[in-house]
Amino acid sequence: MLDWYPIFLKEMLQFKRKLLRLGYIFSAMMAPIIYLITFGLGLGRTVTLSGGVDYLTYLFPGLVAMSSMNNSYSWVASTLNLSRLYFKTFQIYIQAPINPFSIMIGEVLAGMVKGLFASLLILFVGFFLPSGFKINEIFVLALLLNCFMFACLGVITGMITKSHEDTATYSNFFILPMAFFSGTFFSLDRIPHVFKPFIYIMPLTHTNILIRKNFIDTEALLSLFAVLFYCFLFFVLGYLLIRKYNE
Amino acid sequence: MIKIENLSKSYGKVKALDSLNLEIKKSEIFGLLGPNGAGKTTTVKILTNLTKPESGLCFIDGINVLKHPQEVKRIIGVVPQENNLERELTVYENLLIYGMLHKVKSLKKRIEDILSIMELKDKKNSIVNTLSGGFQRRVLLARALLPEPKVMFLDEPSIGLDPHIRRELWQIIRKIKTEGRTVLLTTHYIEEAEALCDRVGILFQGRLIALGTPMELKKNVGEYVVEFFNENGEFISEVCQSREEAYEIAKKRSNGVILRKSNLEDVFVKLTGERIRKIER
Repeated sequence: MLDWYPIFLKEMLQFKRKLLRLGYIFSAMMAPIIYLITFGLGLGRTVTLSGGVDYLTYLFPGLVAMSSMNNSYSWVASTLNLSRLYFKTFQIYIQAPINPFSIMIGEVLAGMVKGLFASLLILFVGFFLPSGFKINEIFVLALLLNCFMFACLGVITGMITKSHEDTATYSNFFILPMAFFSGTFFSLDRIPHVFKPFIYIMPLTHTNILIRKNFIDTEALLSLFAVLFYCFLFFVLGYLLIRKYNE
Repeated sequence: MIKIENLSKSYGKVKALDSLNLEIKKSEIFGLLGPNGAGKTTTVKILTNLTKPESGLCFIDGINVLKHPQEVKRIIGVVPQENNLERELTVYENLLIYGMLHKVKSLKKRIEDILSIMELKDKKNSIVNTLSGGFQRRVLLARALLPEPKVMFLDEPSIGLDPHIRRELWQIIRKIKTEGRTVLLTTHYIEEAEALCDRVGILFQGRLIALGTPMELKKNVGEYVVEFFNENGEFISEVCQSREEAYEIAKKRSNGVILRKSNLEDVFVKLTGERIRKIER
């Protein structure tokens, strides 16, 4: 029942060691702070949004979504890739009497913790900034689902990449465009109609829609279903890749 | 205890295992020898569920490895060729995680016991990365022994270790045998197989080309060896069936002749060398 726990515990022990190194926390905060200063406090002052919302209030939840995506995804993808191909520590799980489902759960939960931790750091920084942003239940739900979804995607990348360099390639092709074009920095209304189908395929787009909502309307409901669909899809694919592991 | 029937596996066009048949008895140390790429590690990987074969069957303690992998995983311990300890965790944490994965009962007590047995008590809280290669190998063995497996797979366990530490490791492996466990050991070191193994199998291009006790293999191939330099200055080592045959060859040489008893290395070189020459022709 709790077969996933040793996998989760191992990741947490390693995470704890990394946290003790001062540089880790600062490096995790660096990118969001740069975005906050550049886009929020710098360029953002010249931006006016409909409904009288100030840009920092708009940007902030998007940055949390982006950061949680980056951290959940890249930690899982990178550690899984390294442990499978270089350190061969992943093989310990395969040779242990536990099922692939437990391995998947352990890896995803560990990825979620890292994504949530990075999000908390940004929320902490945001606490000192002048914005009208407030946390509600939909925000928490969107954040949790986003961490889960991208941790699952991280498992897929970690399992299919043939070298550590491939992880960066996948990140450049999928994660980086998503970070910029999924409504993190600007409203989806401003995107030309031709590109909209591509934008709405991206999972982060739906997190960004959901995470900014104060109540569940039709748009939020559709995005919630889209996120749940991606969560299911990525989880099943990750699970199958672990189950079919063959050297 | 281990039964392999017609096991085959290819990597692309390379045939790693070619209809391998092998039986390993309970409580024996069985050595699998062979040159690089002979199929030793592939055999271990199939038996420990890391790789699936194309065809064939294998059983451990009567359990079909391919049909019931979870049950097999409960009775095996693996020391892989590469050090796959969690390098940033302590020795204790490594054992704890492994023990939890294998659902070891009274885990904390068992860890303390195994640390004592393997003389690792004072390294309990050391980060693995800070340990020497010899200690890391010892931790790998301790980890594999933690769930008290019936069968141990040691894939090149002493690779990269200096002779002194290698001999310490041999003592531990002998101890494992006295506990009644079956050990399948793959090695490049012929003297290791000779010192530890009850029986030895020599693999070449995925096929078993010799099987028996080190003594039987030496008898079959030849118990005496004559070594000398020929007229062209080439070093010649001839394995002979009898002392008389060896004397006859030695007598024809005027000086610089060594006559000695054969060892497992001679058997290995003769059997694999003959095949390599055949392929080259």
